[in-house]
Order: sequence, then structure tokens, then C-alpha cells
Amino acid sequence: MTAVADCALDMRGISKMFPGVKALSNVNFAVKFGTVHAVVGENGAGKSTLMKVLNGSYAPTSGTIEVGGAEVRMRKPADAQALGIRMVHQEINLVPDLTVAENVYLGRMPGRWSYLRKGEMIRKAAAVLDELGAAINPRERLGNLSISQQQLVEIAKAYAAQPRIIVLDEPTSSLSEHETAALFRILRKMRDDGIAIIYISHRLKEVLEIADEVTVLRDGSMIETRPVEGITAGEMIRLMVGREVSNVFPKSVAEIGASVLRVERIGDGASFRDVSFDVRAGEILGLTGLVGAGRSEVARAIFGLSRIVEGTVSINGRKVVITSPSAAVRAGIAYVPEDRKGDGIVPGMSVRENISLPILRRLTSFGRIRSSADRSLSATYVKQFSISPPDGERRINLLSGGNQQKAVIAKWLAAKPAVLILDEPTRGVDVGAKAEIHHIIGQLVAGGMAVVMISSELPEILGVCDRVVVMRDGRASQSLTRAELSEERIMALATGEEAA
Amino acid sequence: MTDAAMEISGTNRNDRFTRGSRLVDMLSKAGLLLAILAVVLYGSFSSPAFFTTGNLLNVLTSMSIVGIVVVGMTFVLVVGGLADLSVPATIACGAILSLGLQPMIGPVPAFVLAVALAGLIGLLNGVLVGYAGIKPIIATLGVGTIGLGIVQAAVGGVIVYGSNTASAEFAKGRLFGIPVVVLIFLVIALIGHFVLSRSFWGRWTLATGGNYNAAEASAVPVKAVKAGAFVITALASGISGGLLGLTLQSARPLIGSGYEFSAITAVVVGGVSIIGGFGSVPRAVAGLIFVQLLTNVMVLEGVRTPIQGFVLGILIVGAVGMDAALRKRGVA
Repeated sequence: MTAVADCALDMRGISKMFPGVKALSNVNFAVKFGTVHAVVGENGAGKSTLMKVLNGSYAPTSGTIEVGGAEVRMRKPADAQALGIRMVHQEINLVPDLTVAENVYLGRMPGRWSYLRKGEMIRKAAAVLDELGAAINPRERLGNLSISQQQLVEIAKAYAAQPRIIVLDEPTSSLSEHETAALFRILRKMRDDGIAIIYISHRLKEVLEIADEVTVLRDGSMIETRPVEGITAGEMIRLMVGREVSNVFPKSVAEIGASVLRVERIGDGASFRDVSFDVRAGEILGLTGLVGAGRSEVARAIFGLSRIVEGTVSINGRKVVITSPSAAVRAGIAYVPEDRKGDGIVPGMSVRENISLPILRRLTSFGRIRSSADRSLSATYVKQFSISPPDGERRINLLSGGNQQKAVIAKWLAAKPAVLILDEPTRGVDVGAKAEIHHIIGQLVAGGMAVVMISSELPEILGVCDRVVVMRDGRASQSLTRAELSEERIMALATGEEAA
Repeated sequence: MTDAAMEISGTNRNDRFTRGSRLVDMLSKAGLLLAILAVVLYGSFSSPAFFTTGNLLNVLTSMSIVGIVVVGMTFVLVVGGLADLSVPATIACGAILSLGLQPMIGPVPAFVLAVALAGLIGLLNGVLVGYAGIKPIIATLGVGTIGLGIVQAAVGGVIVYGSNTASAEFAKGRLFGIPVVVLIFLVIALIGHFVLSRSFWGRWTLATGGNYNAAEASAVPVKAVKAGAFVITALASGISGGLLGLTLQSARPLIGSGYEFSAITAVVVGGVSIIGGFGSVPRAVAGLIFVQLLTNVMVLEGVRTPIQGFVLGILIVGAVGMDAALRKRGVA
């Protein structure tokens, strides 16, 4: 075979700029037919952006894409599908009320003039499922299947389209070990059929098992493409994180006092269990792990946004039962959510109205909001946090992300919480605002507050936190002190290379 | 990087409240006042009957009965509760009970009890929508049907007549030359305006409608706030129904039909967002005045009923369409 025919996909010099952010920088990525090619990297390394360029969701700012040796230009996902590129997403994208067969052939059912050849469709779906070795009845309603079976249907759907390239994004995140083995059999079969398989996973052990080649991305750049043979998980981790840890996070020194928030063996019956940690006055506890490890779920449950079904939460040594955010605020817990636009700000309201929202009752006499108190509260924080522009009457959604975030943090300080939980507080804000937010957090702990900070960004975790708890698959590790930590160690704990 | 992308697309998008839209916003406010003025001018020139004390007082009185409902409905729309379709039932509850109970317990207790029971219907709506998470249209439609059935069964007959002349005269009377019903509407509108724009409950209502999740994460009791809007609407409709019954001195079960549509039309034409988070009582009242005057002019001009419906339909679709267009460029 010639080199050209061998090459299923050749992406060269791919860059993707978003205003102010370079998500991909000059990435070269080539995949051969009949191979499984793994893509690994930390959260935010550029994996998803690269795949979105590949499936036509994003147009690259620069660079060329060749599929099967011919240069292509894709403007929408349908273009990619026409070229034989199929994505299997981490989340199930199927219609629960349709049958398995209908889902497999959704959008391209056999038949003409709106007459559906149902028998043919079921026969073909059965053949595809059979070929993949999946014991699923094509007449079954999809919603009746288990998640892992649905995942297989999703793969069958992609396979039935006879693609040249299949992209699997974290396909095993909902599968048991046994089911993973079954999936790998299917992948090997597709590979032997000559399909190019791109396999995105955080689970390095699986990468070692299934992939022929691996490409490591970091900070939007391609670091290395290597044959999997001869590489170790440790090496991959080093390639994934290997950056200089510069001291851009000045750690303010705060006196560490008594334990403020202590959670013991809490669980929500679904996304996490047996999670224990404590955080003391003047201390910043980092909570990290891969996306989906259950970090935000823990925070939301402690704050009363979801239920804790087992274990105990204590504040200042007293057990508390938190059933609602109002109860959490009364107990002295505050929470800055991860999704600022979705959970953090009320977009139509001014900065002032957003800041006073949690403690409105205290600014009220005889039902009426005392506007002078309302104004002076927001003026105080706008000044203290140098929120820009310094105008409390401005609608909050007109501010930059960093300033919105400062306002969201400010709204909790008025409530004078004993413990503040920050979920990805610096995500999507620029470098300057990030430093300011770190400075604010430093001031808070210096004032004796206890802070829990969730972050996916390891340099931030290592730079800011006194102790760190790493979560994986809904379980938490022991807390580790700064001295015991390195990015490699955290990644090893997060990916399961080191037992927690 | 996905997050970075989301962040960018979020900040780049024009919001409902960016400067460009603010112009639209101001225009929509002034626009409504201009439209009201235009209707008044047109009416004065085209029909000698329009600009007479008698006609205007008539419009004002009938407007006030709907207007009391409009004040409540504003809360439902602002909180993101879409619409309360149980209004005909709560009006009937107010009207039938405030007349039907008169012989047993006297006019004032009858009125109070009627309003309280209407409020109970609202509470049921509120619990279903706010706490059980049932879609408002379905919940209020179902509860309204049930409520109406119970009220009818309780009074037995089909039409209830008033038996207390003093209360009838009070409701039909005037104070300083202004009909009592109008004064009551003004007081309720002022209270509604104060609650929505100055009180913590109003701020909570706006926050819940503006971003339910963020309000919840800010320790706002979102479920109670959502339920509260339906209680407020039901109480307002109960009062409205009671006054309607006292004015007419008779009440049949379908006395309130059509009021939900009139109230929603007024609120939406007033520029209150149908998706919630934005709006005020004065805006809704301006919408009400416009719609009522327009209807009155059409009646005086002899415009046939189907055409009137056609015009009102266009108004409501136009207003909702404008809201959707603003949203599309905005938060959505």
C-alpha cells in the first residue's frame, strides 16, 4: 500500500482561535486506516476542540485537512458525515422512545416517498448488531436498554453508516470492565475492517491496551505522536502535564485554625460516595480530579442543591443537615458554582441586585428593600474587588467574565460564611482577573475563612491550595499536603494509575 | 477548551439588555404610550361617543375588573410561570361565592371567604407548578376545571343572584366622582407595583424568572416564589370576581371566561417577557389601557367581533414574537 492510501486523516497545522484564546496551536494529527489512534491530554488540552474541527462543528482558523488523501473543507457536521466521519459522543445521543433499529437508522431509514421499509430496516440493524457481536434485539425500545447497551447501539449506529473514520469520546466512562472488554472486541473488529478509529480517553490503561498509536495534546499543542508499543503510563502522564510550574500563584500566608467544615463518608446515592475531608479556618483545600469524577456533585450536595443520602456534614464541630441552599447559608456555607452563566448570575439584573440577592432579607424592613443599604453593600464590594467598570447599576451580563465572577464571589461575602466553596472559580477568565481572584481568595483565608476550591487546572491547585483531595469515579483520596504533591502524582491518582 | 469556547460565544453574543436592545427597550416603553395617545386621538376624531365622560368611565370600570387580574398575572409571567389559565375559575369562585354566601354570613365575610377560597385554588396551582414541577398550562387548566366544578356543586344552582343591596350599591358607587371599582384597582396596582419593584419578594420573583438556577444557588426560596405568583394571581382574580359579581348582582359559572386571555394579552402587549425575568406592573397596565381603548374604539366604530378578535390576536402574536426576537439576540 502506498503511503497516501494508508492515511485516513491528515490534519496539518491546525490552529483554532477564539477571541482572546488560542484553543489549538499548529496541531499536526494523522491517523492511518486500520489502526486505533488514542488522543490523550488534560482537561482543556484541546482534545474536544480538535475533534470539533474534525467533525465540521468548528472551522479551523488555519491549517489543512485531508481525508483519504484528498483535501477537504467542512462547514458543518453533515459535511463530515458525507466524508465518512462519525462521532460517538460520551453522552448518549439517541431517542429513548424509538426502537433500537429506528435509532440505528435514524435520519437514513430505508424506503422512499415516506414509505418506510420496516422489515428491511430491522433486518439490516440485526445484521449490524450481530456483526458487532452485540446481543440486542433491534425491536426493543431503546429506553429499556441499560446505559452500556445504549452505548453499543450508538456505536452500531456509527458503524452502520459504513464510516471511514470513527471518533469515540470517552466511550468506556459508563461501562463496566466486562463491557469494556466487549467494546474492545468490537473496536478490534472495526479496525480489522480497515476503519480508522480515534479513541479519546482519560484511562491510560485502556489506551495501552487498545491503541496502536497515541497522540498527546497539551495546552492546545500537539506534543508527540508515538506508537503505543514501548510507552508507559508514567511517560504519557509526564507528556500530558510536563510544563514548568512557575510561581504565578502567590500563596498568601494565613494562620490555620480549627476545623470548620468536616464531611464524613458522604454520598448522594449516584455520583459519589464515601467522600470524607475537612477544611480548617484560614486554609484552602483543593478538590481536583478529572471532569466527571464527582467534584461538583459533592459541592452542590454540601450546599443543599442536591441530596446527601449518607454520611455527615459538620460545621464548627456541630452536625448540620442541609436540605436547601437557604439552610446552607444559615449554617455558614457559601457556594460559587462552576457554570457562571447558568447558575451564577441573573443576567437581566444589575451588579447591585445580583450581589444583594442572597442576603436580601437582611436589607429589608417591613418588606421593603432599604435601597441605601442595598447600594452601599454593592458599592463596598465593587470597590474592594475593583469590579470594572465600577458601576453597581450596570447589568451584570455586560461585564467581562472575570468581573462577573468577582461579583458572584462578592455576593457571598456579605453573608459572612464560615466556609466558601468555589467551583472552577477562574475558568474562562483572563490571566489578570485570575490573579485578582486568587488575591481575593488569599484575603478571605487571611480573614479566617475556610475555602474549598475545585479546579481542573493542576498548576492552580498546586499553587494556591494548602492541601488537596483528588477524586476519581466518585471517590475521594486522602488529603495530601503540598509537600507530598506533584502534577504527576495528582494525574496518577486522578486516572487511577495510583490507588487512592 | 470547550469551556473557553463557550465562554467566548457567551460574551460575544448580544444580550437582550445590551445598548442596542436598550434602545429597543426604551422605544417599546415610549412606543406604548404613543400608541395609547394615537388610539385616543383617533377615537376622539372618528367617534363623537368616544371622548365622553360616560364612555371613558365605562372603559375604565371594565378595565379595572381585568386590571386587577393583570396585576397578578404580571407576577406569573415575570416569575417564568408562563400563564395562569385557572383565572376564569377563580373569578367565578369569587363572584359566585361572594353573592351566594351573602344570605348565610353577610356580604363582607362572603367576599373575604370567596377571595380566600380563590387563593386556595392558587395555592394548589402553586404547589403543582412550583413544587411538583408540572407545566403551568396543564396544572392551572386542570386545577381551574376542578375548582369551578366544586364551586358550582357547592352553590347548587346555575346562576346566583345578589341579595344585599348595600354591597351592590357600594360596588357600583363612586368616591370623589371616581367609580369605587377603579379606586380598588388603583390601590391593588400600586401595591402590586410596590411588591414587584421595591420588596424582597419582588426581587426574588424577578431573579427566579431571570435565572432559576442562579436564584436557587443564591439561596432564594425559588419554589415558594414560583408558587407565590400563582397565589397572588388567584387572590387578585378572586377580588376581581367578587367585584364583578357585586356589580352585576348575578354570577354564572362562565362569568370569568375570556378574562385569562384579556389579562395575558395586556401583560404581553405591555412588554413583560413571556419567558420571565423582566417586566413591571406599570408596563402591564399600559398594555391593558392600550388594548382596552383599542377594543372600545373598534366597538364604537362598529368593527365586527371576528375582526376584533383578529386584531387582538395579531397584537398578542406580535408582542410575543418581538419578545422572542429580543431573546434570540439575547440570552437564549
